Amino acid sequence: MSVKYIPVQWNTNKYIYDAVMLLGVALFLYVFLYAAPDILSHERPINSQVHNARAFGACAFVMLTVILCIGPLARLDPRFLPLLYNRRHFGVMTTFVAITHAGYIVDWYFAFSSSNKYEALLFANTSYSQLAGFPFEAFGIFALFILIVLAATSHDFWMKFLSPPLWKRIHYLIYPAYLSVVAHVSFGILQDQQNHVFTGIFMGGAVLVGGLHLMAALQERRADQALLAPTTEWVHVCDVSEMKDGFAKIKLLAGGDRVAVYLNAGKLSAISNACAHQNGPLGEGKIIDCLVTCPWHGFQYDVASGRSPAPFTEKVPTYNLKTEGTAVLVDVKANPPGTYVEPVPAPGQEGIS
Amino acid sequence: MSDNDKPFFVGYLPTPKALRGLLLAVCVLFISGLSGFGLALGVAQDDPGDGAFRFDYGRQTVTGVVELTPYPLLRVTEGNERIPAGHTLMLAGGGKTNVESRAIPLEGQLAQVSGTMLQRGALDMLQLRGGANGISAAEGEVPQIETVPLGRWKLAGEICDGKCLAGAMRPGRGLAHKACANLCLLGKVPPVFVSTQPVDGSEFLLVTGPNGEHLPEKAYHYVAQFISLEGDVERRGDLLVLRMDPDTLEVLD
Repeated sequence: MSVKYIPVQWNTNKYIYDAVMLLGVALFLYVFLYAAPDILSHERPINSQVHNARAFGACAFVMLTVILCIGPLARLDPRFLPLLYNRRHFGVMTTFVAITHAGYIVDWYFAFSSSNKYEALLFANTSYSQLAGFPFEAFGIFALFILIVLAATSHDFWMKFLSPPLWKRIHYLIYPAYLSVVAHVSFGILQDQQNHVFTGIFMGGAVLVGGLHLMAALQERRADQALLAPTTEWVHVCDVSEMKDGFAKIKLLAGGDRVAVYLNAGKLSAISNACAHQNGPLGEGKIIDCLVTCPWHGFQYDVASGRSPAPFTEKVPTYNLKTEGTAVLVDVKANPPGTYVEPVPAPGQEGIS
Repeated sequence: MSDNDKPFFVGYLPTPKALRGLLLAVCVLFISGLSGFGLALGVAQDDPGDGAFRFDYGRQTVTGVVELTPYPLLRVTEGNERIPAGHTLMLAGGGKTNVESRAIPLEGQLAQVSGTMLQRGALDMLQLRGGANGISAAEGEVPQIETVPLGRWKLAGEICDGKCLAGAMRPGRGLAHKACANLCLLGKVPPVFVSTQPVDGSEFLLVTGPNGEHLPEKAYHYVAQFISLEGDVERRGDLLVLRMDPDTLEVLD
């Protein structure tokens, strides 16, 4: 949550996250570059520039694979949500590692000619009509371009400036970028590799990313089917007896929006399930200090107005509620973000405050 | 729905005790996993072979007759310990450049060349020093040099740029290296065909166009692939030259 924009709002968890990430990356590179060559029994070493390019390229692939596993893993088991918290730092770091890989490649394979090395990168191989010998560099350029765009727009300033939905759409480009990396590797180094350890790790990583996403999607689909509401003006959410104070029930409306109905101190309120920050699932959060707290990044909202507490300015739509007996019903029409709605006393919970 | 029995993590608050063990395990797994992948991937790299710049030989200076195929060759007449008389030396410039502008005026003449040797097994090349230090006319009588036709051959193998293959880059061949090879060949670095079967005792053949021109444009699409091709082979000293027929190029599985 922010009032003014600063580069990074550091806290203890972010320091720990970044330290672990940097230590892992540093060890990967150190082991690849300095420990592994002693084990290799090559008569003459691989050129250091090629060796460096491979180390940074392989590291970027592994990092990207880990990053893409975090999202579905957190969907499948919320205990992994802390890994999501500072993922953007991981993404920015991956971009720098990928740029270093590209730098070594361009400064080695495409240098030393009478042509500009960046132009040479584009014209040296133009066999686009064939599979074997396809200019796999093009896939790498595309992926790197996307990574740079994503890293450059990763700050909350850009999310606010572009609006969260557009920002989110742009950041979904990570998937085409990953596919492009897979193609880059498949049409490149895998074509020459005699030792298939890399092939195994590479395929394992790609399958893991695909498999986790598939599992998360299937779980989400099953959950959505259970939550889906009929196309009526007022939708039944649950019975009050099913609710726990400080927590929410989520309903998927026919229009596709999700609504989170909270029981707070014996009263019912409903807000959009999508956090204004990164569309995090507010209904999977909890009320802390009288405020709904998003499980992804801890953004907070007044459950009655959908507004972040001053001086913060984020706001989400609210919904009107009513009760029929002990049944909780929500109006499918959302109120404009930040609209105060008087909480509805929950039948049977009047004494709680 | 959220569940009050489950620990709830908020980034700017202390981590719930119930999550600390799991997160510690994830940290250890992440760090050890990345180290493990670094090792597994680092030791999985293929041997790039023995090709290299032979700086350890020191600067090599020899004399011979300059030939153009059109790629410049030196038919060595006065050699040294490393480059004996009778050897045919392919010549290249620094980086991905050629020495044609310096060699053309000396075609058919005796010249002294000086530079650094690249060597991979039986394949070698000399990267010349700059200007007249690299190649200059030499005094003496030009001996008779022969070119022996060996007929038409059908060969299987790979077109490479001779310089990277000889050791300018390690590794210096294969599909991952194709763009680099193409760039070298566009710079008129001598192309070399690596044959799966020796031709008259040699597995390396300098490649030219069918009428003694530079590598045909069509061949660039076949560089670094396992292919078959046909062409006329001729022997120039201990070097074989393949005048390839671009219409016979075929990718092999």
